[in-house]
Amino acid sequence: MSPIRLSLLVSLLALFVAGCSTSVAIDTTTIPKPITATIPLVVAVRIPADFENFVYQEKVMGRQEWTIDLGRSNAEVFTQLFSHLFTELIVLSPDDNPADYTFDALIEPSIDDFEFSIPEQSQTDAFAVWIRYRLLVFDSAGNRYANWPVSAYGKSQKEGIGGTDALQRAAVLAMRDAAALVVTQMERATGLSALADGPLEESLIEEREQQFADEEGLTEEDSVRAILLTGLGGFQNDSGT
Amino acid sequence: MIRAPEQSGRTLLVVVAALVASSCVTSRMEGNREAATGLAAGESVVIMAKSYHLGNETESDYVSCVEKAMQSGSGGLRVMPSSQFVDSLFPWFEPRTAPSETKGLDKLMARPGVKERIAQNGVRYIIWLDGDTERVAGGGSLSCAAGPGGGGCFGFAWWQKDADYTASVWDLREQESAGTVSADVSGTSYLPALVVPIPLIARTQAKACKGLANQLQAFINDDDVS
Repeated sequence: MSPIRLSLLVSLLALFVAGCSTSVAIDTTTIPKPITATIPLVVAVRIPADFENFVYQEKVMGRQEWTIDLGRSNAEVFTQLFSHLFTELIVLSPDDNPADYTFDALIEPSIDDFEFSIPEQSQTDAFAVWIRYRLLVFDSAGNRYANWPVSAYGKSQKEGIGGTDALQRAAVLAMRDAAALVVTQMERATGLSALADGPLEESLIEEREQQFADEEGLTEEDSVRAILLTGLGGFQNDSGT
Repeated sequence: MIRAPEQSGRTLLVVVAALVASSCVTSRMEGNREAATGLAAGESVVIMAKSYHLGNETESDYVSCVEKAMQSGSGGLRVMPSSQFVDSLFPWFEPRTAPSETKGLDKLMARPGVKERIAQNGVRYIIWLDGDTERVAGGGSLSCAAGPGGGGCFGFAWWQKDADYTASVWDLREQESAGTVSADVSGTSYLPALVVPIPLIARTQAKACKGLANQLQAFINDDDVS
């Protein structure tokens, strides 16, 4: 095969492959300062590595592959949100030891599930994104205090050919939806302002873990293991005490 | 013989003109006033799409079109961009949290900072848009082909679109509904092709935008809307 024919074939193949995959990357996302009273708490937020750089891939209808790279946008949204919501915010990286810091509560956000739909699936002109976040709240001693699933939804109409812009907008709207839900429901859902008075009383720790286990459908044995992992042991400082 | 091309050109022009005339758009605008309206100096309106959490499908370009159209003309109103309004009141006008009925306004205005921020923005009315433009029918057949000697299309296709929108006007000062204005526009587009396709597009959504914006201007300025 001549080099010209070969390069033509490679180009066609590249075009064909490119035509079957779409990448969407979310740039920096900002949320406005909410009009709400600040919760008088010093809060630490620990951002897990997979939350810091979340990438989702799916082959839609068995054909077109979509890659959605949320990048740092989740971490940015939640960091901005908590800095607006609480008196003081300490941002911890996955490697930081919480025991080295002083705070009233520690929040660890994560993504349980991510889904999206394209117009061909929904038979509408809209792209939609669903994100199920989970916010784990710990007291200053490292006991799990609250476990709050946050379901967010964003939808954007397709404009023009393609759809990467619309999907990008839908993802940003879903993040913003989560932020709105956290601002309006955080206190009601977690009751975390009580942590201003100090960590959970020891008598309540076991009861609370059993409650989480019941919610998650875990057995009593799993619940005991969860207490050992996140509860009574608490945060350990670098010397292991 | 010399005049033949000119004659055929005229015939084509007549045919196109006839088709343009027949690619008509029919529209119906209605208003229902519940309270007196009017804008004082420095007051503005904001135009927003009803929440998609409530199943609304209003296109963002339609909202932009109404925003722009309401600011133009002799009865032009001050319109605050919806994104700016929503950002300034975060999180109370997000798709999840925005009130769906005027009954929710009392509770919203009682939230710390909300009434003050709305006053600071100078927004007197919120206009909620609900509805969309849909293709409701279509038919015909059109085929195109291309070869080494050239290409062309032959056939005829048509489609009908319905634009059905309702605007609910909320008076934020009185905390009540001022009324509704609706636009129901139907347009049929044609695409005849004899070598070259000639699109005769009925601008259904644009007509619904302009019509609704004009009616809303008159409604807010408290002119007669009917």
